[in-house]
Amino acid sequence: MNWIELIIKIIIWPPLWQLIVLGLIVPLVVVIGILWFERKTAARVQRRFGPLHVSPQLGGALQLIADLMRYAFQEVIIPKTVDKGVFLLAPLTALVLSIVPLVAVPFTSVARWWPIPMDYSVLISLALSTVSAIFIVLASWASNNKFSIIGGMRESYMITAYEIAIIISILSTAAMTLSYNFVDVVNAQEGWKWFAVLNPLAFLAAFIGVLMATSGFPFEIPESENEVVAGPYTEYSGLLYGVNMGAAYIKRFVYSVLITLAFFGGWLPYHPGTGFLSGYLYPSIIVVVKATILMAIFSFLRAVYGRYRLDQALDFAWKILFPLALFGLGLGILEAYLGLI
Amino acid sequence: MSARISGISGKVGFNDLKQLPGFWTRKLGKDLYEVFIGPQHPGSGHMRIIIRVDGDVIVEADPDMGYVHRTMEKLGEGREWIKGIPLYERMAIHDACNVTLPYVEAVEKLLGIEPPLRAKYLRVLLCEINRIAAFLYGFGIFGVFVGHSTMYMWPFGDREVWVELADWLTGARLTHSYPIFGGVRRDAPEGFTDSLRKAIRYMRKRLEEYRKIYVDNPVIRARLEDVGVIPRNLAIELGITGPNLRASGVEYDVRYNAPYEVYDELDFEIPVFQEGDSLARVWQRVEEIKQSLHILEQVADWLDKHKGEQIMHDRFWKTAPPLYKKVFQETGRVKLVPVFALLKVPKGKAYARAETARGEISYYVESNGANKPYRVRIVSASARNAIVFKYILPGHRVMDLPTIYGSIDYFPPEGDR
Amino acid sequence: MPPKPVPKTKPKRGIFHKFKGNLEAIIVGVKYFFDPERFTLVYPKEYTKLREGYRGFIVLIKDKCIHCASCARICPASAMKMIRIPQKDPKTGKTKMVMWPVINYQRCIFCGMCVDVCPTEALYHVPYHDVVYENLAEMDIDLESFTKPPEYKTAKEGIPVRYVIDEEKGLVKVPYKEGEEK
Repeated sequence: MNWIELIIKIIIWPPLWQLIVLGLIVPLVVVIGILWFERKTAARVQRRFGPLHVSPQLGGALQLIADLMRYAFQEVIIPKTVDKGVFLLAPLTALVLSIVPLVAVPFTSVARWWPIPMDYSVLISLALSTVSAIFIVLASWASNNKFSIIGGMRESYMITAYEIAIIISILSTAAMTLSYNFVDVVNAQEGWKWFAVLNPLAFLAAFIGVLMATSGFPFEIPESENEVVAGPYTEYSGLLYGVNMGAAYIKRFVYSVLITLAFFGGWLPYHPGTGFLSGYLYPSIIVVVKATILMAIFSFLRAVYGRYRLDQALDFAWKILFPLALFGLGLGILEAYLGLI
Repeated sequence: MSARISGISGKVGFNDLKQLPGFWTRKLGKDLYEVFIGPQHPGSGHMRIIIRVDGDVIVEADPDMGYVHRTMEKLGEGREWIKGIPLYERMAIHDACNVTLPYVEAVEKLLGIEPPLRAKYLRVLLCEINRIAAFLYGFGIFGVFVGHSTMYMWPFGDREVWVELADWLTGARLTHSYPIFGGVRRDAPEGFTDSLRKAIRYMRKRLEEYRKIYVDNPVIRARLEDVGVIPRNLAIELGITGPNLRASGVEYDVRYNAPYEVYDELDFEIPVFQEGDSLARVWQRVEEIKQSLHILEQVADWLDKHKGEQIMHDRFWKTAPPLYKKVFQETGRVKLVPVFALLKVPKGKAYARAETARGEISYYVESNGANKPYRVRIVSASARNAIVFKYILPGHRVMDLPTIYGSIDYFPPEGDR
Repeated sequence: MPPKPVPKTKPKRGIFHKFKGNLEAIIVGVKYFFDPERFTLVYPKEYTKLREGYRGFIVLIKDKCIHCASCARICPASAMKMIRIPQKDPKTGKTKMVMWPVINYQRCIFCGMCVDVCPTEALYHVPYHDVVYENLAEMDIDLESFTKPPEYKTAKEGIPVRYVIDEEKGLVKVPYKEGEEK
């Protein structure tokens, strides 16, 4: 065995592949693309050009790279009044923890390319996805700033309200297939029987939940610029602020992947083979592309909507979205009972 | 107290300081949280609102204005009469004609002259163009305050249409310095009224789209409805003015109660909404834009019928040399007779008011017969509206602060003068 | 016909107002996504050719000036100043001090009153405003440069356009050809 083979083997080792390549590098590319798309979409609806002058041939796509470099080389200011250790660690931990759910997500039906056994993957990935929010609240507390603390409070309210809806509606697919295994969930959607069509209630609840819980503009009630400056991230600058923002987008990407698997048939209609290319790479690409399209729809809505008020958003979450998710769960169980799946 | 502070060297106790205006302190309630919104804050203009919150609910609010005070009134006393016009329009440059018009009218009252009819119509023309542009500016700011980025960009884009028209008419995009003692400075150029009619039809179409994406958008409607209600009696008591007052059900508009220029000859409505909440204030402005468009149509028709009429009062035009009249014939530009620079205004006092986009502005002008004003007192609309924050913010949630701030359409440079 | 007050109320909500409102908002958004109708000026590649009558930079025609100082007197920002320059009288051959106007663009607010007040039309506006000065001292114009139009340095390689008001799209950019007015 020579060195090149070894390196390739290490790269395509499933835990490494899913956490580093699919969890860190692909989201970076996807996020840059989505941010570009978001800015261009908003600009089109608002009758502007958006980013243009940095690379006119690419429609200004390199503007995002330039912005990234600006964040990377900006001075990181750590105010005297903050709790330094927590202040530094919280965003980094949130970033890492927002990637972690991908370890329990199958990108293929071939058992050889799973990082861990997938028997309870729906439960494990959903459980892991809720952890990172705690560190955002922690970051706001460590900042020792009035706006940060108000933002952190809002974050905790929003996360609690909307993640429950996401979790219940994704669990409804587990109820439909009588299995906690994502591979079973995907395989049950064989033949274009996508669960988004079979169970639109649960899908709608999950869609709106992800839209609100991952705080993209203008649904970013915790960091709503006009009252609380930047919410939990008010005291952050430079790379740390970028890490915070990146964590939010990676979270949105991870949720999009989960929704893709649960409602849009994952890698179907492609049937994975056994080799690395046909068994792992192509299905991963299909899943990522579907998730990216979903994120693009999220981005388009930014141009149409304004920001909800916190109490109205919570009202909506508990009085409409939570029952909707429960109805979705009931509908899923009913369909499973009637044997429609 | 002040004697002690200035007299005794260095011996100033904390208790003395506490009595000075900037050092007023008060005890906070046990569970209250004090948040300073502004002056360097994305959600406030050049002003500060100190709020005390209990949980998510504001219990006390102190508007703290004066960060962009520029001593307009005192500066005006040191300049010749005509130099006041470019100065005072800097209070609200996107509403320049409305803001300076009462000053010109007051000085005209002292001089005992009245501008020709065509000049009056041209003033109304620019006033209404400015009013629409200022409302659109307010919409844009309001849009970004409730996080609606499209409503931020659209009105600013459509405002460009009206700014372009004003630029064509006066030669400057914002600081027009257009009305002048005895008339206006330029005549409407060739083809102007046709473009104006196109812009009116365009704006009507766009207002419908604004309604769809913004005013009737359920998210925005939920944000605005029943938020920041100013009851009718409170609105009268606080002395607020402009669209905010009319949205509370009070029939008060200077164009209606004390018509100036040619507003009493024009056919238009003063919309008066009854509810007094933020959504009613938005609808109020939308309806007023529609009425302004209606006024502009009538003005355009009148201007087309009465082409080539004089637009400067005889006192400044009769003695003008032939070159002046030639220039006016060729370019529509009114040349000023050199006497304007050192104009002496007869002794006396005058008062004039006008309806700007944000409400009533009034000028009290006093002359002692010199070539500079003795006193110019200005009460602007925003200065009267600012007090509202103190009374209607308590009881609302923190996220309602930008909504209310945006719906009042408070403009700090105008308020601080 | 005088104006009249008309009481109004907010439009009533229908039964399906939430559904209808969301749908209408998204339809308008999608409409503009596919047909943006933008009127952004892509600045260095195109620049606006402003109309005649725009109050831009001011130029002095030396032959017409009668040294009356009206422009300096009316200037609201004291940007225009009269300076004394020794000059030979061609008839008598004697040297005497003559007043000439100069302008300081650090102060000028482009109100155009000096141009309007000049009794002999010795001053005129050039219809552009984007002139680059490399330092503040340059903006204090001397008499020689005041008689020449300032050099138009920016966006020279771009194409001139003019905004025309359109009923459907608001503003439309029309390429400007030399000699064509309106």
